Amino acid sequence: MNLNTNSLKPIYVQIAEWLEAEILNANLKEEERIYSQYQLADMFNINPATAAKGLNILADNNIVYKKRGLGMFVSTNARNLILEDRKNQVLKQMVSDLVLEADRLEVDEKQLIGMIRQRIKHSRRNNNECCKL
Amino acid sequence: MSVVSCENLSKAYNNFSAVKNLSFDLGENKITGLIGRNGAGKTTLLKLIAGFLRPTSGAVKVFSQNPFDNITVSSNIIFIDDNMNFPVSLTLSEILDSAGMFYKNWDDKFARKLISYFSLDLSQSHFGLSKGMKSTFNVIIGIATRCPLTLFDEPTTGMDSAVRKDFYRALLKDYVEHPRTFILSSHLLNEIDDILEDVLLIKDGTKALHLPVLDLKEYAIGLRGSQDVLKDFSSKDIIHEESFGSDSSYIVVKNQFSQTKLEQLKASGVSMTSVASDDLCNYLTAKTKGGIDDVFNRE
Repeated sequence: MNLNTNSLKPIYVQIAEWLEAEILNANLKEEERIYSQYQLADMFNINPATAAKGLNILADNNIVYKKRGLGMFVSTNARNLILEDRKNQVLKQMVSDLVLEADRLEVDEKQLIGMIRQRIKHSRRNNNECCKL
Repeated sequence: MSVVSCENLSKAYNNFSAVKNLSFDLGENKITGLIGRNGAGKTTLLKLIAGFLRPTSGAVKVFSQNPFDNITVSSNIIFIDDNMNFPVSLTLSEILDSAGMFYKNWDDKFARKLISYFSLDLSQSHFGLSKGMKSTFNVIIGIATRCPLTLFDEPTTGMDSAVRKDFYRALLKDYVEHPRTFILSSHLLNEIDDILEDVLLIKDGTKALHLPVLDLKEYAIGLRGSQDVLKDFSSKDIIHEESFGSDSSYIVVKNQFSQTKLEQLKASGVSMTSVASDDLCNYLTAKTKGGIDDVFNRE
């Protein structure tokens, strides 16, 4: 993965999000050891202190836990924690941005909800086609 | 433990003060970027730390000792810059051999692997190398000595961008395997900020900022929007400003807003961007807030 160094998002947050994505798509499994700050430093070409800060975000949210002398491990309920957290933080923020942009473009409530419905239908249909293949 | 510690350090050449009342401590096993404009005093500071120069006043301590004329300090630090002189009669291979005699942590195998990766000819003399190849050879010496304190003064001068990237990666990988203290002076902060832990920014010989690079990245925020909305910011908070279009501005301010204030700004059509640490350092060390545009401003 490439880091977006111009993003408003700090690099350590991007590291934390990448690790979360790895947990969500089961590349990192529960109770498995997660990358060390030094492995992450090497993988992303960043200072180990930056990588450590990314790991600490996960530790603070109980997504990973420390085993003394062994490193950090993925918690048993990591997946649920991440999903809940994303619903509450990320999705809410996206909705708020969406509403703001709709206001600016003079799109009213009915139109906006209509657009969302259409999009949902569209992606369901695509999913179904995928399954048939 | 701090590896380098300066207290009210000053150095003057005749009437010109290159370094003025600098005080700071550098912790062990960190990579610190020494950043500043041309003539800010970076090289003088590094030479004071390396013990090449004697302070005019104040003190510099390296491993708790005065570095000037000090064999213990000298054998534990290496200073790499593009004026390094090696005896003309020695081949690169012979220079590597003698580096091994001086420095106890010298990794000869590693040095020769790097030399061959960068396609340098060991039988050539240092004198005959191109500018970029000289710099490449010098940084190889700097990394392979594995000194507890390594000083790089503009190490990438003349290197092409592929070699620069390889050098930064080699430095980082070797640092992860053998943690030690580095000071890296550079103009190209955007190239090195990912591998740094701390940044020491100096302006006219004095300390402008000394903080973790992660804090530097969040130190300021760029706001782009109509002048009406942005005029509320008082000029003492503004680090940099540009106007463009008929009524729009871009300002850089210290990042000290509450979430509510950010929401308000967003709602009034202000877009927010992060400020690259490189740009921020340029703004913080600029003489005027409008930069070069002020020269062309006829009002």
